[in-house]
Amino acid sequence: MTRTLRWLAGAWTVAFVLGLIGLGIRMFTGERLVGYGSYVPWGLWVALYFHGVGIAGGVFVVGTIGYLFRLPVLRDRLPVVLWTSAAAMITGLIAIGLDLGKPFRAPFMFLTPNFTSMMAFNSWMYMVFLATLAACFVLHRRASTAVPPTDRTGWLVPLLCFGIVLGVAFPSQSGVFFGVVEAKPFWSSALLPGLFLTSAIAGGASVLLLILTFLPSAPETPAGRTFGMLRWTIIGAVVVYFVLEFGKMSIALWSPASHAREPVELILAGPFWWVFWIVHVGGGLLALALLWQGRSRAMLGTGAFLIALTFVATRLNVLIPGQSFSELKGLAAAFSHPKLSFHYQATVTEYLVALFIGSVGVGLVYVGLRLLTGFTITHPEKAR
Amino acid sequence: MRSGAEIPPEAETTGVELSRRDLIRAAALTAVGAVAGVGTVAVSRSSDGGPSPRGADSVRRLPVLETVPNDAGADPLIRMQAELRLAMAKPIEERRWSMVIDTRKCVGCHACTVACIAENKLPPGVVYRPVLEEEFGVFPNVQRRFFPRPCMQCDEPPCVPVCPVSATWKRPDGITIIDYDKCIGCRYCISACPYGARTSDFGLNYTDDTPEAQPYESLPNHEYGKSWSREDHGSPVGNARKCHFCLHRLEVGLLPQCVSTCIGRATIFGDSNDPDSLVSEQLRQPNQLKLLEEKGTKPNVVYLV
Ligand code: SF4
Ligand code: SF4
Repeated sequence: MTRTLRWLAGAWTVAFVLGLIGLGIRMFTGERLVGYGSYVPWGLWVALYFHGVGIAGGVFVVGTIGYLFRLPVLRDRLPVVLWTSAAAMITGLIAIGLDLGKPFRAPFMFLTPNFTSMMAFNSWMYMVFLATLAACFVLHRRASTAVPPTDRTGWLVPLLCFGIVLGVAFPSQSGVFFGVVEAKPFWSSALLPGLFLTSAIAGGASVLLLILTFLPSAPETPAGRTFGMLRWTIIGAVVVYFVLEFGKMSIALWSPASHAREPVELILAGPFWWVFWIVHVGGGLLALALLWQGRSRAMLGTGAFLIALTFVATRLNVLIPGQSFSELKGLAAAFSHPKLSFHYQATVTEYLVALFIGSVGVGLVYVGLRLLTGFTITHPEKAR
Repeated sequence: MRSGAEIPPEAETTGVELSRRDLIRAAALTAVGAVAGVGTVAVSRSSDGGPSPRGADSVRRLPVLETVPNDAGADPLIRMQAELRLAMAKPIEERRWSMVIDTRKCVGCHACTVACIAENKLPPGVVYRPVLEEEFGVFPNVQRRFFPRPCMQCDEPPCVPVCPVSATWKRPDGITIIDYDKCIGCRYCISACPYGARTSDFGLNYTDDTPEAQPYESLPNHEYGKSWSREDHGSPVGNARKCHFCLHRLEVGLLPQCVSTCIGRATIFGDSNDPDSLVSEQLRQPNQLKLLEEKGTKPNVVYLV
């Protein structure tokens, strides 16, 4: 385990340094070197943002339910759940902050919000969620016993339940965020909230399972209840995701005149077919096989890691195809410029900044584990 | 954090025990959240747009061009210019700017596109009025027609409600505008516009990758009647941008630049609240077409075919 951790620490350092270079480029050149433009205005960073906030919701919902149901490991690890959820949320917000044309004006979202915008509504939900996390954290620190319900004020459990409602609501709203855009037929679907929520649950449970594999708590073996709950949650969520995705695509392909047909064909057979077939389907099926077998921590950890990583493709495959077609035929040819193209290809700068975003997320989780459990790279947490 | 040793052995099998008090408190928190959410959305939906000048503040007394006769044989530009003066003499709530583009007269010269770029100092990658081409028929019975596409100044603009910071709104005279000082550059409005009428200013310059920036690139533009300098990432760099019917020109009695430049007199502009205006006459023609009307946007730009 220690050797694996050291290897991962090395990889993290490389990613972080490369990410810092990307961040520097982003800061000095603004958005000149990005691949997105005016016809595909959202790219990789927006996908990471939705993945981050989805994981935040998923971690909280799954971890808190585990805590409330007193599952071993989770019942006395609530702060880890809260911290990881907050770390994923902060990571997502960094991603979207870097995507803004005027990042330093982001506070306007709170100073002059327009609540007819799902973006403003989501932003406020995130803040309420982070405040709920902080309150739960404080109440838990002051708790009299480790078994829920625990605190003297009697507000911890109600707040956790409220947090679960939020943790279900805002990942679903991420789907609504796209669903309300009538201009894009591929997005304008009532299935999107369900897809986004399922992806969030799969991603959140995967991150929790991954952390668990690195926290070797003695009584919990891969056959234990907590591992079992997490792996079956992931398996269930991934299967449901695939079913919903099949539904969305097959409906579009069934009708010869569907406006959503071209985006689906782009996903399946366009230049980025491999994102769907290899990363999403291939990665997902491999992860399912590993989780299904689930014989060792390494197997479970790898499966969970694959889902947490490859499910960013679920965001990309909604985001990019939805923007890749104009409702006004002939618009692309009317005025030529790389920023006025319906073809999106992430640039090196975007990938470097993505490394920064990802490594910040991992770094935040690590700092939390270290402070809350004493976990270190060189001396992994003693078996408990 | 508490150690697992404090956990009673039966805890592992007892499962959750939510007391009635827990449930009531959780439900109360959720209800407060839901009411706050619904309330804020309802208040936002009922607000009446942005801080545009209204009433007497919006009336402009513009000079009459007495040396140019506006008689029956006058150029449409002269007539539209005179009608513009009349419209500006009314409060903003009483005018309604509309545009009619006669595709039978448009020759696809792109002069309007270029004039707009010059007027608004548009950088590379930003365009307010591209000209779309449509080819129909089968050889040898082929025909082409052109659709200049400004902002449609929709009556139900999907670009407005999505803005998270109220940086864009529809004025009482029908023009949808962007406040460059408020826009955070999230590009949600760009996604929401079915016409692709909004573009983002990514801070590019025509002389990027050349030895020297040219002076014209540092000239300010005067959209919305203010002076905007793009130097040092100043707005509108990082903002969404769009056609605004040359609001800054209307304010001083000038027609939108694309209208003045149209060599075929194919673009007719004016106050559709004035039944005698040229644009109202054109709007009464039966051979009309509105782009993507099925989206429910109620565009104020109409094409004659
Ligand atoms: S054309 Fe687009 S930018 Fe213009 S008002 Fe309509 S939705 Fe908004
Ligand atoms: S890009 Fe600017 S105007 Fe458009 S939605 Fe975002 S903040 Fe509003």
